[in-house]
Amino acid sequence: MRLYVYHRTVYTYPDPVSNSFNELRLHPLSYDWQKCESSLISVLPSTCLREYLDLNGNLVQYFEIPTEHQKLTIEARSVVNTVSRVDFNQFPYGTPMSTLADIEKRVNCRNYLQGSAYVELNPDAWKQAIDLGGNSGDVFQTAYQIMEFIYSNYEYCISTTSVDTSSSTVIRDQKGVCQDFAHAALTFCRCLGIPARYVSGYFYDHTKDQSMRGAEASHAWIEVLINGHGWYGLDPTNNRVVDDTYIILGTGRDYRDVAPITGTYFGRLPSSMDVDVSVKKLEE
Amino acid sequence: MKTNVFSRYETGAFFDEMFDRGDDRLIRPHYQKILERISALNPLEYEEKRSQAVSSFLEHGVTFTVYGDSEGAERIFPFDLIPRVIPGNEWSVIERGLKQRILALNLFLNDIYHQGRILQEGVIPREIVETCPYFRKEIIGFHVPKDIYIHVCGSDLIRDEKGTYMVLEDNGRCPSGVSYVLENRDIMKRAFPRTYQSMGVRSVEAYPELLLKTLEYLSPRQSQKPVCVLLTPGVYNSAYFEHTFLARQMGIEIVEGRDLIAIDGFVYMRTTQGLVQVDVIYRRLDDDFIDPSFFRKDSVLGVPGLMDSYLKGNVALANGVGTGLADDKVTYAYVPDMIRFYLGQDPILQSVPTYLCWRDEDRKFVLENLANLVVKPANESGGYGMLIGSESTKAECNEFKKRINENPREYIAQPIISLSRHPTFCNDELAGRHIDLRPFILYGSDLEVVPGGLTRVALKKDSLVVNSSQGGGSKDTWVLKS
Repeated sequence: MRLYVYHRTVYTYPDPVSNSFNELRLHPLSYDWQKCESSLISVLPSTCLREYLDLNGNLVQYFEIPTEHQKLTIEARSVVNTVSRVDFNQFPYGTPMSTLADIEKRVNCRNYLQGSAYVELNPDAWKQAIDLGGNSGDVFQTAYQIMEFIYSNYEYCISTTSVDTSSSTVIRDQKGVCQDFAHAALTFCRCLGIPARYVSGYFYDHTKDQSMRGAEASHAWIEVLINGHGWYGLDPTNNRVVDDTYIILGTGRDYRDVAPITGTYFGRLPSSMDVDVSVKKLEE
Repeated sequence: MKTNVFSRYETGAFFDEMFDRGDDRLIRPHYQKILERISALNPLEYEEKRSQAVSSFLEHGVTFTVYGDSEGAERIFPFDLIPRVIPGNEWSVIERGLKQRILALNLFLNDIYHQGRILQEGVIPREIVETCPYFRKEIIGFHVPKDIYIHVCGSDLIRDEKGTYMVLEDNGRCPSGVSYVLENRDIMKRAFPRTYQSMGVRSVEAYPELLLKTLEYLSPRQSQKPVCVLLTPGVYNSAYFEHTFLARQMGIEIVEGRDLIAIDGFVYMRTTQGLVQVDVIYRRLDDDFIDPSFFRKDSVLGVPGLMDSYLKGNVALANGVGTGLADDKVTYAYVPDMIRFYLGQDPILQSVPTYLCWRDEDRKFVLENLANLVVKPANESGGYGMLIGSESTKAECNEFKKRINENPREYIAQPIISLSRHPTFCNDELAGRHIDLRPFILYGSDLEVVPGGLTRVALKKDSLVVNSSQGGGSKDTWVLKS
């Protein structure tokens, strides 16, 4: 699928601010199932944009604006070609939970098995995770059950949680947005020893009635490692296995690793932040 | 003619759009269908189609004006029936490159008229910007509507002898030619309806609608349907036909300066029902003339007080004021640096290597190698006042040397590029003629490039100058879906 994403963020400050430094993770990566055809990232006030690859392999653009300004606009326009990496008739079942013990020893999985800034592994979460796993002996099936549980039992509501809400609060209150759902799912997977990572990106709502949750914004979901099959995406907000309607911007341990825009500046808090995301399907 | 009009066609030592180079002259696959159609035409049919095209242009009044010409000012824009075809994959690179470019140019103008980061970091010399005649000190610090300066851009693309697309120049003030794109398409659809349909050509008809959307996006009054007008210098302007055409297609009023009046920081249009407040002006005249109380005192084309309303944010202008800086051919030489600076990427489309006579070592080189270069004034358009070294007399060269030495900032030089050629009907025979391409980019709520653009063709044999004012013609441009 050939998709076009337009993502604009406008910060307005009540008084002029200065010495702004920001990092952007808005550039889609190219993987096996996703090729970034082009990506234009622009910042106003005009400034010099530089880039580097972070430790999770995400492309980061960064810039600084030393002079005073009252408005900061960040725009990203990307064209991405995606292919589906799942066959919906043939999910990667058949990897028993017992193989997880081997995976645990792999150095590159360790990050995705431990707690992290937003993902708190504690006895309560662990107990609930064991219940969710039930008697399933299959890694993919267990992860799928976790996704289903969150989708059916958690309430999707905007502005009850903030960017700082950690997974234990989400698990307790059972409500939040895509970011919170992803953090909860990560917690349960990691409690059971399934390597799981946080994914930030977008999706194209292909449903006729536009019923998917979290379109028109940046989205978040998780990926779990199925031994011998690679990483699989699960979207607890929409109860979907991730296919070619999804675009990945970056992956990490949790939100902190892949926040689309992070930065510091001198000055008062923004009086408003407007985010505008649209994903369109292009002709092949 | 049935024996194949292409049998005597020669590609010469140039990149030919239709045929691969070599003795067997392989046809490029995207031209197969149209070649077959053209080959099947008999002279009578061809003549019929040609006269249909001519009368259609006359009926629609598709004309332009040549300045400095004593015999009748208005002319038909010569049109060639063989379309230029661009395959989808080539086009998608062009489209990406153009979007990247217009974005960088807008960031550059935003930068120059505000904090000037690119000058502080020494990427572009401050002197270059400040000596540009189109640099408008008056608007420094002013926030143009939606922070966009160039809403309509027409960049000229050429292909060199290897077929590589290159940007020759950007037109960020009032680029014209889009009306011919639409008229040419109209004629071609009637001339070759079945071939057109079977080739999967992408449509250009949405342009007026997209342009109107772009204009409306700028309106300072979002609460109601914006009132947009097209401001023309009048019937003697070379692009007057286009002004009337676009206004009609968009369904907006076409006005001259005297039809508008600025009162207390607002602009109104005089109508039979009284004054109507205007929100957006698509102006087709240069900065210099839009407001005699602000820029040129002797302008009778503008509206006194217009700039006051603009600076108060009560009316939007498209294109914005001060965009001429991006058209300067000295600035052009720095566009690749701008793209790297503002967007952190390499340019997708190449530029033509440019020597700036302003730099001492470049000027030395230019003066020594004048015979192999094209010298252009930095701030003229329409192909006026340039020198093609290889085709000029000694006296002309000496004259230019003198001018360059007197005013080095005003001249640039580029290697002579053998533009690609395209089969074209000339005196009932097919011959290769040099072409370029002017695509149109719109920048409103998002960036849009109309698939195709105006292919201009130099009808004089061996001529490299395609400008309509210098005897150029045009072709329809077919961008294929795949």
